[in-house]
Amino acid sequence: MVGATAYAHEPVAAATRALDVHSVSHAYTLEGNPLPVLDNVGFRVEPGGFVALLGPSGCGKSTLLRLVAGLEQPVRGEIRVDDKAIAGPDPSRVVVFQDPTLYPWRSVYDNVALGLEAQGLLKTRRHRVDEALALVGLTPFKKAYPHQLSGGMAQRVALARALVNDPEFLILDEPLGKLDSLTRISMQGEIVRLWQQKGFTALLVTHDVEEALVMATRIIVFSDRPATIKADIPVDRDYPRHRDDPGLVELRRKILGLLGLEATW
Amino acid sequence: MTLITTILDGQESEASSLSRSNPAIKIPAVLLALAASASWLATAAVTYYMPDVIDFGRVPEFAALSILIAAALIAGVIAGIRQPALGAKVRRLLPWSLALGIFTLIWQLLAGKLGVLPQPFFPPPHGLLEVFTDDYPKLIEGVLASLRLEFLGFAFGAIIGFWVGVALGWSRTFGYWVHPIMRFIGPVPSIAWLPIAFFAFPSSFSASIFLIALTTGFPVAVLTWSGVASVNPAYYDVARTLGANERFLIFKVAIPAALPHVFVGLFMGLGASFAVLVTAEMMGVKAGLGFYLQWAQGWAAYANMYAALIVMAVMCTGLVSLLFKIRDRVLSYQKGDVKW
Repeated sequence: MVGATAYAHEPVAAATRALDVHSVSHAYTLEGNPLPVLDNVGFRVEPGGFVALLGPSGCGKSTLLRLVAGLEQPVRGEIRVDDKAIAGPDPSRVVVFQDPTLYPWRSVYDNVALGLEAQGLLKTRRHRVDEALALVGLTPFKKAYPHQLSGGMAQRVALARALVNDPEFLILDEPLGKLDSLTRISMQGEIVRLWQQKGFTALLVTHDVEEALVMATRIIVFSDRPATIKADIPVDRDYPRHRDDPGLVELRRKILGLLGLEATW
Repeated sequence: MTLITTILDGQESEASSLSRSNPAIKIPAVLLALAASASWLATAAVTYYMPDVIDFGRVPEFAALSILIAAALIAGVIAGIRQPALGAKVRRLLPWSLALGIFTLIWQLLAGKLGVLPQPFFPPPHGLLEVFTDDYPKLIEGVLASLRLEFLGFAFGAIIGFWVGVALGWSRTFGYWVHPIMRFIGPVPSIAWLPIAFFAFPSSFSASIFLIALTTGFPVAVLTWSGVASVNPAYYDVARTLGANERFLIFKVAIPAALPHVFVGLFMGLGASFAVLVTAEMMGVKAGLGFYLQWAQGWAAYANMYAALIVMAVMCTGLVSLLFKIRDRVLSYQKGDVKW
């Protein structure tokens, strides 16, 4: 895959295990009726990859991420990490949600320290909190409280809170969806940089075609609910990418076509 | 309900009262200071020179106190010219000083000097002053006894209520068994337990602690429960993906997230507990301000009753303010609206 560990400045716990989504189906119960959200979805992510899951909103992409995180169990099929089925949440698979969901009663520093504290590692690995804050450029704000932060800063804290655990899989659930467009563009670059530096496997849910094209090494396009895989498209371009790269523009046309939106483009 | 809204809006109202320019000060401060001062001087003069309808004692002392207030107001305004912070504080007090001065003057005339208000049921201000100067050991003793009882009952109730609330919010089994009991017993006013408590407990003191704890514990339990139940589920998702166990979820996520609710419960419990405290002291406990009130009534010592009421008001307000201070400290993360 594209230079996953090439940019490493520090010892990196690069991803070594593959993620295998194995014919997964899932449904919720809505007023007594089953509501299917995923229909026989299967794909494999090699270690160090950056995969974008793209689809119309409400199609079930986020549900898939909850399953990968281990927050829920699929109704049928299973998700494996190197042939071991996921049974529950694990700090090797950390989620960054659409809302930063920082704890308002904790300072920025304490929010970032959350994972280490929960695992009982805070005493021995305290230095990692400062490293993670430096990584997202928020060291001067470590004593601030979440309500004092802008949306972009809060999302960067959420990113640091995930990275402090050195996850093998970083699960990004539309993490930039609520940010203004300028902040979004700069944070897209920032996440790609962190991915190159750290070598984790990234799974990004988004409904923004351009975002998927700029960030991912591979884009999986989903249909409407219940989600099935419509296309699996490699994005074989170097970083940093430019939005007006003719190769990307061509891919964008193709993906919008798959989503039934070629007329608007 | 107003108490709850005050608590919830606490910060905003504080902030707005700071930013609002003082609307009461339209008339120049000097004129207002003179008027306030004059009202207290008039009170002093009426107190000293007009004869009492019946003898109430402490006449010169109260006249002196009134002059002192008048002088302090003028001195405060003058000192405030040099120190703006002090000046602002004094100016804020001026309208109330004037109103109280006029009230005291009218009270003195009606009660002490003209006898319009029937005596001895409505003693004049210097009658109350006599209680404070002569009977203060008993009043202090009463305050200490009341505080001790209130503190023990409130602490027991708050601690037990808090943990019951957490357990209700967390455990379905606990909820299954305890929720119906709470629904059945909860609406019964604690005072209704008083006759049973007084013979079921070894002493009226321990019975009163039980009643105050019951009164406090109930709202604390309900509010803590609702606080734990309304924690944003995403907070749990975050902690779980980061490797948190259930203990961590309860102590480091649910409880801190529920604390603002818990404080609303504590305020409601505190307010309700005062009623039980005074009732218990009147009915059985042979100490405290409630007992003092009862005793004063028995001796037809009406001035003592008013004095005890004033002391009680100060004590209760003080306790509520103390709880506000504690809340502001514990929930300090909500403070400050600096945005970067």
